[in-house]
Amino acid sequence: MTIKKTHNALIRPNRRLFLQGTAALAGASALAAPSIGRAQSKELYINSWGGPWLEAATENLFDPFTEATGIKVNTVSPVSFAKLAAQVRSGVYEFDVTTLGGGDIVAANNAGLLEPLEEPYPGGLFQNGVGSHAFATMMAWRTDKGWEETPQSWADFWDVERFPGGRSLQRYPARVLPLALLADGVAPEDLYPLDIDRAFAKLDEIKEHVRVWWTGGAQSTQILRDGEVDMIGIWHGRYFEAEDAGAPVAFTWNQAELDSAYWVVAKETPNMEAAKMFVDFATSAEPLAGFVAQANYGAMNPAADEFIPDSAKPRMPTAPGNVEMTFEQDMLNFGADPQEVAMRFDEWLAS
Amino acid sequence: MGLSLSALAERKTLWPWLLLAPLTIYLALFFLVPLVEVVIMSVTEPRPGLANYEKVLTGSLYRKVFLNTFGTALLVTLCCLLVGYPLAYLMSTVSKRAAMGILLLITMSFWTSFLVRTYAWMVLLGNNGPVVWLMQTLGIAEPPPLLFTRLSSTLAMVHILAPYMIMNIYTVMQKIDPSLIRSAESMGAYGKSLFRHVYLPLTAPGIANGSVLVFVICLGFYVTPVLLGSPREQMAAGLIGNQIEQFLAFGLGSAMSIVLLVVTLVILGIYHRRFGLDKLYG
Repeated sequence: MTIKKTHNALIRPNRRLFLQGTAALAGASALAAPSIGRAQSKELYINSWGGPWLEAATENLFDPFTEATGIKVNTVSPVSFAKLAAQVRSGVYEFDVTTLGGGDIVAANNAGLLEPLEEPYPGGLFQNGVGSHAFATMMAWRTDKGWEETPQSWADFWDVERFPGGRSLQRYPARVLPLALLADGVAPEDLYPLDIDRAFAKLDEIKEHVRVWWTGGAQSTQILRDGEVDMIGIWHGRYFEAEDAGAPVAFTWNQAELDSAYWVVAKETPNMEAAKMFVDFATSAEPLAGFVAQANYGAMNPAADEFIPDSAKPRMPTAPGNVEMTFEQDMLNFGADPQEVAMRFDEWLAS
Repeated sequence: MGLSLSALAERKTLWPWLLLAPLTIYLALFFLVPLVEVVIMSVTEPRPGLANYEKVLTGSLYRKVFLNTFGTALLVTLCCLLVGYPLAYLMSTVSKRAAMGILLLITMSFWTSFLVRTYAWMVLLGNNGPVVWLMQTLGIAEPPPLLFTRLSSTLAMVHILAPYMIMNIYTVMQKIDPSLIRSAESMGAYGKSLFRHVYLPLTAPGIANGSVLVFVICLGFYVTPVLLGSPREQMAAGLIGNQIEQFLAFGLGSAMSIVLLVVTLVILGIYHRRFGLDKLYG
């Protein structure tokens, strides 16, 4: 209900003019009008990933932020890139702040969906998003398959002779194409710009073995935990969930793909001030350290490092000892229009 | 009482409209207005013109997905009919109390969330699920993959949609006058011929109603095929969602929605000419 009210309160002038044509709604927005002032200063709507992410964010970011500023934080699920675009388009805002990965943020910024932000710490600003934390797409597998060897690299992921069994990858070409090139023998430092045709040719080889192209984090944990697939490219946080649930699984940091999550503010949101305050807070050293330590992410603000306990580091993709084995996504040097590649990927998938 | 006859008549004709007003206003505001917006988006995004429709109607991916959508809907409808018809017949022959009991069992699945029912199939058909266990116990060492195939998504959709079919057929069967069957028998129609020439034609409206409902609902299925289906057999709703969620291609997604809607309306139109839409809920 609160969300509904805020909808009306947040309607932009042009939208409101349009709606006044219909008496019923105009009445509703007039009723909600007194709450505009309150909503602007005292409440904030944040797009949530749910699960362990939400737990860590509530404890380390949302609650301390409310304590420090008096601004109440409400969460909205699921995370939706399309909703970010739809609300800027319609002027009706369901959330003010969200996080985007490296692939989506370039597209979102190009589409003018993001409010310009200032650099909060050196190197912290990318495409109008403030760097928060790094996460990895890594290779994980079931240990109950009776394989004689242990998979080491994406080449092994492609090797269905030595490691027979079902595979799964994310339905997200910007992350999957580099993995195919690594499997084909390209060195991590030579990946970008991507050789798109070569990547697709390599994907052809594994296609019939990929039983699931997962689209949600929870889904990826479930199919690994329940043994629906035997080898998977999975976000590291979601992998540890399966491991902690006692599933017979293992993983490697080797050739794990680092992606970054950025806090962004929805363009022209009426809660701008509170939204920017939150982004600053969430990426400042101590709150960020608490958040990444609990959720096993890697902090992107180097100032956070001193607050991160050593015990949290083995599960962080950016910790010394792990990070050397990983490689980073480079969306600005992608090698083609990511949208076109994604369309081609969709067609490839259906063919 | 001082009310003239004509005024009464006027009140009578006005009254139904007044009763309908809330629903009409609701539908206009929350269905028609957004629908018009979708139509506008389909011809203006990213630039004005019919390029989106051209793409949807000529692109091989879209043709494939649309064909698969209609093929799946047809298959699911047929399966629902095969499962539903005998069950509805059983219900119409047993006592009222027993029929209510069966109906209760069938509608019970309606009380469970859609997503839960979909996940339940994942558990049943999963590698560590009871079906695979049963197959292994029966001596099939390497059971074929059941999950994430056309089989699993079809099973789940039939499970979710069969009640629509059963209830429609049952309503019609229940109304069949038993004396019609008796007189047919007295004329020498038994077994196959009784079914073909008397019973089947009498139940045809129920079959048609149930089939149209199941078919149309199935066309728009999203979660079940995405979570249970094979990646190669996408359905239109999933692809539309993907266009918008991943590519922000609001125009293309809108055009696909409109094409799906128009084709569905055409099917309903054909049905209406043949059977009359008003019978759908009667």
